[in-house]
Amino acid sequence: MPSLKIWGQDAAAAANPADALTLQPSDATAERGWFRSVDEYAGHRGLGAQVQGVTKVTPGEPIPDSLSRRSFLQLLGGGLGVAGLQGCFKPPAGHILPYGKLAANLIPGEPLHYATGVEIDGVVTPLLVTCFDGRPIKVEGNPDHPENLGSTGVFEQALLEQLYDSNRVQAVSERGQVRSDDSLRRGIQEELRKLVATQGEGLRLLVPPTSSPFLHERRARVLEKFPKAKIVEYSALGIEATAGTEAGFGQALLPRYDLTKADTVLSLDSDFLWTQPYGQRLAREFTARRTATAPHLQPGQDTWAQEQQRREYNSVPMNRLYVAEANFSITGMMADHRLRVRSSDVGNLGLAILRAVTVQRPVAGLSVPAVDPGPHANFVQAVAKDLLRSAGRSVVFVGPRQPPEVQALGHLLNLALGNLGQTVSFTQPAARHARIEVGNEGLRQLAADIDQQKVDVLLVTAQNPAFGAPADLDLARRIAAVPFSVYLADYADQTAEKARWVLPAAHPLETWGDAVAADGSHVVLQPLLAPLFDGKSEADLIGLLIAEASAPHELLYSAWHKRVAPGVPLFDDTWAGLLRKGFTIADAQPVTLPVLGNAASDALNKIAQQHATADLELGLYPSYQVHDGRYARTGQLLELPDPVTKLTWTNAALVSPKTADKLGIASNDVVELTLRGRSIQVPTIVLPGHADDTVSVALGFGQVSPLDNERWSSFLAPSAAGPNPEGKLAGANAYALRHSDAPWFTTGLKVQKTGGTRELALSQEHWTMEGRELAIEVPAALVGTTEHLAGEHSTNEPIPSFYDPVKPEGFKWAMAIDLARCTGCSACVMACQTENNIPIVGEEQVKRGREMHWLRLDRYFTGDLDDPGAITQPVACVHCENAPCEYVCPVNATVHSDEGLNEMIYNRCVGTRYCSNNCPYHVRRFNYLNYSYGNKTDVEKMAVNPEVTVRSRGVMEKCTYCVQRIERGRIGARVQGRDLRDGDIKTACQTACPTQAISFGTLSDPNSKVSQQRQDPRSYQLLKEVGTRPRTTHLVRVKNKNPELS
Amino acid sequence: MTPLFPRWTNNAYRVALLSLVLVPTALLTVAMVWVRSPFRTGQDQPVVQPVQFDHRHHVTDEGIDCRYCHQTVEKGASAGLPPASLCMNCHAQVWNKSDKLAPIRAAYFNDTPVPWNRVHRLPDFVYFNHSIHLAKGVGCETCHGRIDQMAEVAQAQPLTMQFCIECHRNPEAHLRPKELVTSMTWVAPEDPTLYGAKLAADYHVHTRVSCTTCHR
Repeated sequence: MPSLKIWGQDAAAAANPADALTLQPSDATAERGWFRSVDEYAGHRGLGAQVQGVTKVTPGEPIPDSLSRRSFLQLLGGGLGVAGLQGCFKPPAGHILPYGKLAANLIPGEPLHYATGVEIDGVVTPLLVTCFDGRPIKVEGNPDHPENLGSTGVFEQALLEQLYDSNRVQAVSERGQVRSDDSLRRGIQEELRKLVATQGEGLRLLVPPTSSPFLHERRARVLEKFPKAKIVEYSALGIEATAGTEAGFGQALLPRYDLTKADTVLSLDSDFLWTQPYGQRLAREFTARRTATAPHLQPGQDTWAQEQQRREYNSVPMNRLYVAEANFSITGMMADHRLRVRSSDVGNLGLAILRAVTVQRPVAGLSVPAVDPGPHANFVQAVAKDLLRSAGRSVVFVGPRQPPEVQALGHLLNLALGNLGQTVSFTQPAARHARIEVGNEGLRQLAADIDQQKVDVLLVTAQNPAFGAPADLDLARRIAAVPFSVYLADYADQTAEKARWVLPAAHPLETWGDAVAADGSHVVLQPLLAPLFDGKSEADLIGLLIAEASAPHELLYSAWHKRVAPGVPLFDDTWAGLLRKGFTIADAQPVTLPVLGNAASDALNKIAQQHATADLELGLYPSYQVHDGRYARTGQLLELPDPVTKLTWTNAALVSPKTADKLGIASNDVVELTLRGRSIQVPTIVLPGHADDTVSVALGFGQVSPLDNERWSSFLAPSAAGPNPEGKLAGANAYALRHSDAPWFTTGLKVQKTGGTRELALSQEHWTMEGRELAIEVPAALVGTTEHLAGEHSTNEPIPSFYDPVKPEGFKWAMAIDLARCTGCSACVMACQTENNIPIVGEEQVKRGREMHWLRLDRYFTGDLDDPGAITQPVACVHCENAPCEYVCPVNATVHSDEGLNEMIYNRCVGTRYCSNNCPYHVRRFNYLNYSYGNKTDVEKMAVNPEVTVRSRGVMEKCTYCVQRIERGRIGARVQGRDLRDGDIKTACQTACPTQAISFGTLSDPNSKVSQQRQDPRSYQLLKEVGTRPRTTHLVRVKNKNPELS
Repeated sequence: MTPLFPRWTNNAYRVALLSLVLVPTALLTVAMVWVRSPFRTGQDQPVVQPVQFDHRHHVTDEGIDCRYCHQTVEKGASAGLPPASLCMNCHAQVWNKSDKLAPIRAAYFNDTPVPWNRVHRLPDFVYFNHSIHLAKGVGCETCHGRIDQMAEVAQAQPLTMQFCIECHRNPEAHLRPKELVTSMTWVAPEDPTLYGAKLAADYHVHTRVSCTTCHR
């Protein structure tokens, strides 16, 4: 392992950079071969290393509200004196308010589920939303839809916090002055009179991308009525999935991948398990081939008997994933072989692979220029060989960050490998009006028009363009220059500052609409409640513009009537059925790629002509937390640790250890990144596995933090770290470095130390488990050779115990988590948070290790510091049969249920925290402050799940296996007079998981999935040696290494 | 010279010592008794309602089943109060000009709720479900008492945790045939415990006393 120079890892070193330390791997690291961070690698007792217990408490640190010790004791005494009195009085009775007229199918207090969907950047996720008494409280995927089968990503889970966010724009305003709706309507009508006269010359619409046939029709109507108007479609991260076929084949087509048949997968800078339009389905299909424990069968590698054994074990061979990328992505964490390569070198690498492939399987009409793969020759040869071996059963992905010609190269690789029609197919994209301009070209034209004062009226429904548009277009200044601009705003953001009129936007759960899913099925988006803040949708605004009398809902109804049942007079029942189901069956037909022309060779030549310079590269990435910035005010997402860096509340400049060494920077150093004269200041994280000579920054941060709010000040300590360099902003705005000609990466970056440091709110160093074997990974060659792949940790005979074994009658609830399927996407963490009313705590509290997530995702690096692998492991309360927490509770607040649940009784808890100190898994969470109540507004309180108690200060809490769902499922089944079936009860995390890595059920049924998984040779128990007999078991991850590369 | 501590101070000292033990014990006892007493639980205290709804008349005289108005009792956690539209099923014809029913008509025509005063209140951290209790043969009367004899409804039982747990430990004595759950006058044909044991077997009654049965 290489040595590493680090500055600023602790206070002394930061004060005097001359004390720079040269770090060697500690003995412990060398012995166990894995580490979680640079600190741990070196066994360094620096900033993070002080966290060995549950929480980080600095001696002498003032308690947040700065009470003196004396007044604290006075209050304590007084409080004790009166605490009991409350119980002496009868609680206020209150009223019961029945409906005046009862709606059909409504049982007050019982949940109803509505099928709907949400479209983010033109990609729809079909949803099933749970409503209690008219207020949505839980978002889940539509279980019937074949794309996501009930799963969601993290953004869908955050919809509710966003819906009930009191910080949303609530009133119409003109230049910051609140106005009535009517005044805006009058203003628009006045402008309309002028526009009609000029056929809409001077009218511009800046709209988000959408797959909605309804919105496409609405937009077309605008262009019909105003023939000289222009519509520009824009989104900061808009993924033009059609760019590749356009560049290589001259026709815009949507690629569609099928990983069920893919034996070898190559990802060139593609985070396909997350960001592609069909990330959830691809993740599911991909990981389904990871549990197959028989590896890639390679003739000559094994004895025939071994091979036969593996074939018998599972008939589906395991797939193998190669990833070439700069920044560590969740796809990179799943890779069998990961090549660290700068984003600008990916094209060259792909070209070398294509050349090696076409030598064996030439493509008619395509000449592939020779390139020098440089140090990656081994990788190129091995990958090409493997791809050729599984020709027709492989997939090559090229990420949307790569320029169109490299994406074309990806399609050519699939073509050369004979994958088209097998694992890759193409469909026609949604028909968009021919005069709608797309992307940066449209924006550039709009900017030029504004400069020439050709634009009189600008309607903006796109997501915050003044913030996310390329910096060189300076859209913020230009929007302000338009005489009459209207912005449909979620928040008082950068665009709202510049636009003349700001109109509250309706939330996706408040609007009618439709969308086309990735498989071609049409999804109906129905609102769950009337707009809370009288928000309007784009369809409303267009209706005003074209003086349409009908409401969007009626128009949508008749549009669907025409589409689904043309000529049939009665549509109400069909419509009701559609709303109940949520979507129509897919009818998209695959189309064949056009014959290869010159475009393909041109694209390849273009790649070959690019010569990478040795300059420092800047790589920009979509954030795993805030997407393009639209969720940058959603506390739940900001506090969700980044899957790789485990960073919360801010973004950071990610660099490799070698590059950090070269630049003389270390983790926590605030650096100034300068590109083409613009610069931002951002703290650094030295990330193992990052490519050298490139700096990665996540986009979307740099908005006003939701913590910049009075209600948070009640429990936010004054920052001990000194003035926060970003003030009230959450992170730094990396869009400032984004240019229209280099939207994702470019060289020429300058990095300069500012001299300041910033303590980062990382959840990474918490819950250290002292070098024990936790997340287990085995090579594929081991599979089939042993009954118990996890060795001594395997789920077989339990460790002997002095205590009587728990003998529950009836159900024995248990969970199994498959590490081979877990990508680390964190959807489970978010689902758990919204289901169980788990509060967020803020950046300062995260720094103290007080985050409340019941379910956490551990991420461990394995192997070499420069080029490690990574493994993720979800850990929540494992519901030990011999639970150490239960023995130490003085008030019986945590006890065992007859069905094996480790129960937490909030009302008994007095907050001794003995249980959490005695928990070997460190999964218990304590409400140090009144996180849940705060000063929530009435609207924000609506997000609370009424089935789960809201915990107050001084109470311990932890995973309950979603006991409210168990009880609801049980009562439902027993009222019907039947037994619970396997699958009746699904926990929140299980439902959300796109890869079905989590299963839950009862061990009393030997055929339940969870019982079966416990029998799997991969099953093991976390910290089995402690003898806790956990009910949650994990399944080891299997790595399918290519013997030629290892 | 009078002694600094006269003889009686010996007794005073003894009393003081004794009361050091007795007074806290007494206070604690009083507090514990108090919270279980009707003063605290609200047991047997009739609650005045915005409309003088008389269960005696509707249940006994008219013979209306509980479930006609409390419709959701078999389907959901809450028994539910009838929407004004349900009252109007009869009172559109009967007593349709009565001043006493003005709030109901107002609620029906304006679609606004009638603010009924809550009689039974469980703490927020208790999740009680009516439907499962009915499905297992627990009668309305068991917890709610002789509603058919109440002019104004009062809470008939203490509804303390002790009250719940007693039945959950030994449910047999409190079971009746499912079809008679709403009967106010039902009595067991034999020893209730023996009779209930048969029903418990028939209905697969498995009461649980684990905390999360009610607290989540």
